[in-house]
Amino acid sequence: MPEQSFDSSLEQMLAYDAPPEDARQFVSGVMHEVRREHRARRWILLVFGVIGALFGAAGAVMLSDSISWIFAEALPATRVMQLALFTAGAIAFYTWIMNDDLPIDS
Amino acid sequence: MISDLELVARVTGSRDQAAFQTLVERHQAAIRGFLRRLVNGDHGTADDLAQDTFLLAYRKMHTLKSGTKLLSWLHSIAYRQFLQHTRKHARQQVMADPPQQGHDPRAAMEAEIDLPELMEQVSDEERACLTLAYAAGMSHPEIVDVTGMPLGTVKSHIQRGKQKLKQWLNEHDHSLSKTRQSSPDLPAKEASRA
Repeated sequence: MPEQSFDSSLEQMLAYDAPPEDARQFVSGVMHEVRREHRARRWILLVFGVIGALFGAAGAVMLSDSISWIFAEALPATRVMQLALFTAGAIAFYTWIMNDDLPIDS
Repeated sequence: MISDLELVARVTGSRDQAAFQTLVERHQAAIRGFLRRLVNGDHGTADDLAQDTFLLAYRKMHTLKSGTKLLSWLHSIAYRQFLQHTRKHARQQVMADPPQQGHDPRAAMEAEIDLPELMEQVSDEERACLTLAYAAGMSHPEIVDVTGMPLGTVKSHIQRGKQKLKQWLNEHDHSLSKTRQSSPDLPAKEASRA
């Protein structure tokens, strides 16, 4: 059998079967798994988020005395206001400098 | 029709499940067909591997490089899933279950040739290269991308696989052209090509 003829015969012989009839079922099976995975991820995030928040709250309670000392005694009210203003200014500057996206349409 | 590129951007950008569903609908036949050839007719295993392939694609969609064809990328994931499967399970176990045959008219046309038995004559790598070349219609460089094999290896797998198939057909006195002529259901176009 000539090589070219054998190649075309091979092409026909190895061609995939007709498209599977259960395509819809297969697709819904895949999407079901995708959604299940999403739910599992959300639960994992929620559980670890709650654990993190609990530890954070516990830490805040333990440090509450020293935090209140910083604001009540170590720093006078004017310094706190200056700090707040400086922080707001720094955030505004950061936002301005990072917002460098150029419009696609000229 | 929305392009694959746009759908991929939606999936990576906002985890758009509807976009991913469209991609699955579009490419499931090719990936399932490819895996069915690789596992040599075991449709259940092939579909399980295809499902794993799409799930992995969903998870790793952000790693798809620009310029890479989505279908080639899906084929490469499917091929790796298949290799992992063959490593996990002994080949004998796969062979123990009689493979389910599809109700393909083409299969009926080739009634004299037992395709799974024929494809048993070649190694897994040869089967993958032959399937990608002849069933998926991929070029040799595309097969290199999918399988990760060097170009020379791909070419030699295809050449060697073809030789083995030819030899088996000769030994079993199967002539493709003879089979086609004897088939009454053969469409005229295919008969003339054969």
